Amino acid sequence: MPLETESRAQIRALIADLRPDHGDLLAALHRVQHEYGFLSREAMEVVGEQLHLFAAQVFGAASYYEEFRFDPPAAVDIRWCSGPACRARNGGGIRDAMLATLAVPMDGQTADGRVGIRLGQCIGTCELAPQIWIEERATHTNEVVGNLNAAQAVRLARALRDGATAREVLGQDVLRG
Amino acid sequence: MVSANPTGSPLERYEAMTAAAAPVYAAWRTPERPRIDVAIDTSSLANGARATRDAITAVVAQTNAAVDLGQNHGYGMQWLQPLVTVTFPDGASVVYGPITAAEATTIVDIATGRVPATSTLAVGTIAGERAGIPSLREHPFFALEPATGRRLIHRLGFTDPENMQHYLATGGYHAAARMLDRHQSPAQVRQELIDSALGGRGGGNFPAGTKWNFLATAPGDEHYVICNADEGDPGAWVNRVIMEGDPHLLVEGLLIAAYATGSRGGFIYIRDEYPLAIARMEQAVREAEAAGLLGDGILGTGVNLELRVIRGAGAYVCGEETGLISSIQDSRGMPRVKPPFPAGSGVFFKPSNVNNVETYANAPMVIEHGAQWYIEYGTERMRGTRLFSFSGDIQRVGFMEVPFGVPLAGVIDACGGMLPGQQLKAIQSGGPLGSMLPAREVPNLSMENAPFSALDALMGGGGIVFLGDQVCTIHMAEMFAQFVEEESCGRCTTCHGGNQRQTEIIRRTIAGDGRREDRHNLALVDRTLQFSNCVHGQFSPKIVRNTLRFFSDEYERHSSGRTCDALECEGLIQFRVTNQRDPQLAEAQAICPTAAIVGAPGNRSVNDALCIRCGACTDVAPNALVREAKPATPRILALS
Repeated sequence: MPLETESRAQIRALIADLRPDHGDLLAALHRVQHEYGFLSREAMEVVGEQLHLFAAQVFGAASYYEEFRFDPPAAVDIRWCSGPACRARNGGGIRDAMLATLAVPMDGQTADGRVGIRLGQCIGTCELAPQIWIEERATHTNEVVGNLNAAQAVRLARALRDGATAREVLGQDVLRG
Repeated sequence: MVSANPTGSPLERYEAMTAAAAPVYAAWRTPERPRIDVAIDTSSLANGARATRDAITAVVAQTNAAVDLGQNHGYGMQWLQPLVTVTFPDGASVVYGPITAAEATTIVDIATGRVPATSTLAVGTIAGERAGIPSLREHPFFALEPATGRRLIHRLGFTDPENMQHYLATGGYHAAARMLDRHQSPAQVRQELIDSALGGRGGGNFPAGTKWNFLATAPGDEHYVICNADEGDPGAWVNRVIMEGDPHLLVEGLLIAAYATGSRGGFIYIRDEYPLAIARMEQAVREAEAAGLLGDGILGTGVNLELRVIRGAGAYVCGEETGLISSIQDSRGMPRVKPPFPAGSGVFFKPSNVNNVETYANAPMVIEHGAQWYIEYGTERMRGTRLFSFSGDIQRVGFMEVPFGVPLAGVIDACGGMLPGQQLKAIQSGGPLGSMLPAREVPNLSMENAPFSALDALMGGGGIVFLGDQVCTIHMAEMFAQFVEEESCGRCTTCHGGNQRQTEIIRRTIAGDGRREDRHNLALVDRTLQFSNCVHGQFSPKIVRNTLRFFSDEYERHSSGRTCDALECEGLIQFRVTNQRDPQLAEAQAICPTAAIVGAPGNRSVNDALCIRCGACTDVAPNALVREAKPATPRILALS
């Protein structure tokens, strides 16, 4: 067993009540990601020890799911809704406009780690289509920005890229330009 | 918090609980002081309900108004969110919407009586009467709902979903308590379900009672009930509504199912995208345990049930029952070959039963009112009512509970018709594995499986998206093709390879490079996909197949005509400056994310190679630029 470092002990404490063969893996991974923002190799090893799984099994399972990530997340993530109601109103154009503004691919983030953009799945708030969500890591906030057009998406992405906080872009001024 | 009553028969214990809950709920329904309830659900929160609630709280504090604050769930009228309900001391409740933070003072004034209740923001009354305000039931949105009122979601708006006492005081857990009081044996419960013909609400309509029989008669005494709340179809959110609006209903449904099938363990697998549903279900499970309605020795009987909420992590195919089971037991959520079915080998290789949220949630009312009551609504083949969520280019986006068999044309009317200036073009139902039908089929469609199946379509899990004539169906087909490709688990080569080919061909077509042999190759891919092991692969070519059949002309216009009439497909359109003098043109130049608008004032043009067709320029300068069909370029015959 690897040396028990302080960081390993912290991860272990986070999942101390979870058990092997009990369907606890997803819960363990969610807890770790909520706390650290992503799943590190070390975290997956500790989760494996706790649940009597090889680290490879933990990674194998975790990598199957869209939500789990293996690198530190951006400070602010733009979640782009990929649902049909949003697509029917230029959702694709909004996506392309934001990707071009940030110069990143889908599920990527800017070099300084400020802004990322990720694929979002429909949550059924289609009255606001087309929409995105702004997720801020530090505050665990998640705000929907709806009835968006491509021009507003560009302004919003530029503001975030240039240092605005989630709170600032959620004010209507940024969207109006 | 409701606590367990230590003595008596199950019904006596239950009645002791409701006796304590009844006055609490009665005081909530007819409060001493006016109360303002802000709807707190995913839809209202997205529309700013938190800001509304904070603003109302602030106004009440500042003005020292004699009103209380509370919460409920919305009624399905999502286009009017955030919804706010004011309940007056005489028991009258008036719904207002949309109420943003700016209307906080008005709402508080209405509650205190400083301003008459008849505001332009009033939508309708849900209890009591107020002169000049119609009953909410008279709103055309509810025209198709059962005349005798909602059945499955009758508590929505009438209770605080986070208050278990409200559930108990409105008849909640009575069906389970009476069942445990030995008035019904497990076999009788299952028979009642079979008599009600309650079908699986995930879309398959397989009789739930029959499915429960499989589990009840399975060997061993370690059985599990599993609730599939991995509602992944884009455009469907009916399961979320049940879990956020009436979480104890699902707990009671699972308790009934567990009793009927001899299960002592249960899982509620909820998709990660539904944090509020997860929180409310977890709270409901904890409360039910504390009240002795879950756990060991439920209501003093020998019946045990341990329910657990599992949070998914974003994998569409976990909505397939064996994928879901695999996901619960610490591995990749990949579907496997059936048989064995879950009733033979389910979670942890023990006999299990997987049903949809809505299926379980129907069980309490079947047991409470009996099969005969249940089948009053619906059609011969599909009994009862079901929840549908409607979205797209319609006036009224939301959800409603309608009897099976109501005409689709009526649904469109209830939803207020299409948005101004739009005609219905396509009906998308059943999610990415579902179908896309043309508007001309509307007269032939009603809300049940058969008329959809007759058209090689799928009604599916409750989500229907109405698409207007500004939408390109080929472009939409590409979206679904990409979705099913990305969500393929990768086990079957037919599925992961077939869907890659399918997406490639459609994508090439919308890029303006359709080929004559594409139709043949798509049909080949379709036939190959049928050999996939699970429904994901088997149903994944359905939307493309529908599109080729029902929107054949549009497909040919793209493929051989190289034209997208809806002006959506990137490779077939272009942007062009039409008015050099428009002052907004400079703004368009500034907004373009790829700097594709080049040239000095008076001589600006769009560099087509840089343009990504996002439409930001026409958003800010609609009169300076135009989105138009790309002129056909001569093709080299040898390559085409």
